[in-house]
Amino acid sequence: MTDSDGIAAVETIEQVPAAGVSNGEPVVRAEGIWKVFGPGADKIIGTPDAELSRSDLQRKTGCVIAVRDVSLEIKPGEVFVVMGLSGSGKSTLVRTLIRLIEPTAGNITITGRDVMQADTGQLRELRRHTVSMVFQHFGLLAHRRVIDNVAFGLEIQGMPKAERLARASEVLTLVGLEDAANQFPDQLSGGMQQRVGLARAFAVDPKLMLYDEPFSALDPLIRRDMQDEVCRLQIETGKTMLFITHDLPEALRLGDRIAIMRDGAIVQLGTPEELVGSPADDYVANFVRDIPRTHVLTLRWIMRDPKPGEETGGPELDVTTKVNDAVPMAAATDGPVRAVENGRCVGIVDRLSILQAMADRPEETEPSAPGQGGRPRTPADRSSPAGGSS
Amino acid sequence: MLAAYFLLRGEFDWPTSLTWQELSSRLDSAQGWLLDQRTAEHPNIIFAILDGFRALAEWLVTAFINALEWLTWVGTIAASVLIVLRFGGWRAALIVFGAFVSFALMGLWEESIQTLGLMSAAVLLSLAVGIPLGVLAGRSDRYYRSITPVLDAMQIVPAFAYLMPVVILFSVGPAAAVICTMIYAIPPAVRITALGIRGVTPDSVEAARAFGSTAAQTLFKVQLPLARRQLLLSVNQTIMFALSLVVIAGLIGGRGLGDVVTNGLYSNAALAILAGIAIVIMAIALDRATAAIAERTDPTRQHLTDEGRRRARIMTLATLGAILAIVLVARALGADALYPDEFETSTTVFTATIHDDLLRWIQSALDYVQDPDSFIFGITEPIGNFLLEYFLEPLRLVLVETPWFVVLAGLTGMAFVLSGRRPAITAFLMLAAIGVMGVWAVAMDTASQVLVATALAVAIGIVIGVWAAESPRVERMLRPLLDTLQTLPQLVYIIPFIYLMPVSRIPGVVASVLYAIPVVIRLVTSGVRNVSPAAVEAASAFGASRMQVLLKVKIPLARESIMLGVNQGIIMVLAVVVIGGLVGSGALGDMVARGLQRNEFGEGVVASLAILALGIALDRVTQGQRRVQPR
Ligand SMILES: Nc1ncnc2c1ncn2[C@@H]1O[C@H](COP(=O)(O)OP(=O)(O)OP(=O)(O)O)[C@@H](O)[C@H]1O
Ligand SMILES: [Mg+2]
Repeated sequence: MTDSDGIAAVETIEQVPAAGVSNGEPVVRAEGIWKVFGPGADKIIGTPDAELSRSDLQRKTGCVIAVRDVSLEIKPGEVFVVMGLSGSGKSTLVRTLIRLIEPTAGNITITGRDVMQADTGQLRELRRHTVSMVFQHFGLLAHRRVIDNVAFGLEIQGMPKAERLARASEVLTLVGLEDAANQFPDQLSGGMQQRVGLARAFAVDPKLMLYDEPFSALDPLIRRDMQDEVCRLQIETGKTMLFITHDLPEALRLGDRIAIMRDGAIVQLGTPEELVGSPADDYVANFVRDIPRTHVLTLRWIMRDPKPGEETGGPELDVTTKVNDAVPMAAATDGPVRAVENGRCVGIVDRLSILQAMADRPEETEPSAPGQGGRPRTPADRSSPAGGSS
Repeated sequence: MLAAYFLLRGEFDWPTSLTWQELSSRLDSAQGWLLDQRTAEHPNIIFAILDGFRALAEWLVTAFINALEWLTWVGTIAASVLIVLRFGGWRAALIVFGAFVSFALMGLWEESIQTLGLMSAAVLLSLAVGIPLGVLAGRSDRYYRSITPVLDAMQIVPAFAYLMPVVILFSVGPAAAVICTMIYAIPPAVRITALGIRGVTPDSVEAARAFGSTAAQTLFKVQLPLARRQLLLSVNQTIMFALSLVVIAGLIGGRGLGDVVTNGLYSNAALAILAGIAIVIMAIALDRATAAIAERTDPTRQHLTDEGRRRARIMTLATLGAILAIVLVARALGADALYPDEFETSTTVFTATIHDDLLRWIQSALDYVQDPDSFIFGITEPIGNFLLEYFLEPLRLVLVETPWFVVLAGLTGMAFVLSGRRPAITAFLMLAAIGVMGVWAVAMDTASQVLVATALAVAIGIVIGVWAAESPRVERMLRPLLDTLQTLPQLVYIIPFIYLMPVSRIPGVVASVLYAIPVVIRLVTSGVRNVSPAAVEAASAFGASRMQVLLKVKIPLARESIMLGVNQGIIMVLAVVVIGGLVGSGALGDMVARGLQRNEFGEGVVASLAILALGIALDRVTQGQRRVQPR
């Protein structure tokens, strides 16, 4: 897709340090987004009222702060997950990014173009070609066949019929629905309907895909299937994705980085490992409590420096191996296992540390703020700027 | 109030010092001025517009009638039946066919065609205004909020009340009929269209926006197709409203079946009844046909694939081809424009209708019900007299003879208790206006009829409604009956009772009861049904009997719906009671009827305004607290 001609390119943004995902300037860069619902919304930000609790604010001004000073950057090819309880502002946040909901304040840049300055036409171009969205309740058009639903975005762009149907059936094949092309949404199961939603979003070949709890309405088995589907599509197409969920396993499965929201603000932003290994506060700790840590943590989080004179032979495992996957090898050798990175030994893992990691429940390790000492060495290239929560 | 009645009976009529005596003569001269303006050589711009509109409406009516006549009667039947068959299915087509056959056999073909023409023109113009406004109101909250009170107000006004002003502006004729119909039919068109657009799932609309749709793309690719069924239902309702009024419009120069009825009421009872039956048949056929088309062309249920779409297109072409062929053949064979009264062959002449037989039968039925010795008469006569003697007359006397300030204060107080402060103020102002216009006593007569009829309608409606809520079987049996009753034009309700209970105010009252009952039943049923099961369960758990549950839990909890039933019922009753003025129920309706029939414009307009004021007052008294909540 050619991007619109009309949108003014913003000055080249300073290079972000190489991320785990890919280099290059961020696809999305949002700074200080606020969304206040209610009368006189724009007068709240920056006043002491903004610090009031939700119910106090509502009583005093009739306003609700749905998104509170959120900043984030999403890198090319990254799957960025936003998580939080119901009502924490996730849907509102994702909608403000393409101004489906007008943000009350903030700066947003998508693929280098300033969204807040865009006029209606430019905004439409952005939505047509650069960003597409998958919805919790699918948002399919009941009066159109599946294939016409998939072609909807292309139709809106003004693509000729034959061309857009060809493209749509291509995408339908990609999501495994080529046989359903002629059916209608209400003839499909929920899972299939959401595949149509996925296909519709993919059809316009966007740079960025937004998912608003796409699988919450599906039952667990199908949800897993669909997660696999998204993983596969992401690997095949390398799309940048912003994924909203309130399901932690889903977040951990899909996310390169995860932001946890509460009351409209991001309380922690980091890799799955960082969230599980060192939750920023009780809220986050509560979230990750039931997650088996060994499934998320890698050797990097439990390794220690070799003691002087310790044997440096023994089996090797890559430092990014999940603790859980290291168990068989650790069990098979008497000595410690060496964690290697780029062929260089960076630490030692022994049975004791594995057992400790298994026994170690987050509520027992005292929660530590990000960036504080007292936690395992954090891999330099993974330590994120923690977005706007700073 | 009663105490005041007995103590001060008849002592305080509305004082003449508080009356605007010259109002009606002022209006008369205003009317004369209007007439001069309209016929002036160089009418000013407003009258030029009014006249232009009148010409357009008249032209449209004529065009529709001419088109139907060009098709010939054979072609008219073929076209209607085949089109309904194509889009609405064979059931609806059969009903439509049956309807045309009955018009033909009744010998009322020409009148039916005229009514259809009048109605089509009115519907077309109403939709041309109503649908765009409805779409606007569907898309903009602000506009919706601002237009809702206007629509509410318009629906309070009885159709009968604006015949008079419209006649003054447009003079008697089909145009006036079309305009009246538009005033009556546009509000439901707007409302249902707006509800349809609003009913489209916000998810679909949001998705369209997220993919970069323009406003027009969202409207035409998403909102309109998804609201298609609702839009067609709004067409259906517009047609039913239009038909209802087109029939009354017989009074102001709309020709057709309505004309036959309104004239026949005085001169030829059997003919009036026959035309009434034709109207009922037309209403049912139009309703079924449009409802079936709305259902069956809904793109969200039709599931048209490419193949299906092609076949549908072929079917449509085939239908059009068949219609054209039939029309051409019929014209070639010399079919008449209208269904003829007799067919001639080379040797004999057949009578083509059973018009005369029908009239004879109806007349004998009329003779039977009006024969003092007949069984029916033995039932209807006492009922009518009983109502008159024990309800209507006493209440009228109370309202008329109680000092006016006591009635005024009483009704205002009721409005305050039931509905709140602002409704009470409105009610007070409206009632005072009635007094100032010098029609206090007449209006109180109308009010007494309305109150009696409403009480009856609500009592019967609650009993049947509760019964239907308790027993699904009863509800299933009632539903088609209620559906049919709700599609009938208002005037039609009155016709049978003119002959069944021919005592002064009774026909209007009984007819209005019948007219209002279906709505009351519906509201009560849904109200009782929607009482939270938890409350019912709790009561049953405490060992309440079914009757106790009903009386102590369900009915009290359904109070709001019942109150709404009273409110809607009272407005519907008023609409029909004033039409009763045509057939001797006196009061305000009679003033309007006389105004229309004898050109007493001033009086007629005063009565129309009084009806309007009374309608608003009664609505405010009974509206309850419901409008306090934003809708
Ligand atoms: N149009 C609106 N007007 C007023 N308040 C709103 C509006 N939309 C959302 N809110 C409020 O903003 C807050 C955030 O809502 P949002 O829908 O973004 O939550 P969410 O995290 O997506 O929740 P869920 O998981 O239930 O989807 C909620 O408290 C909600 O009440
Ligand atoms: Mg949400």
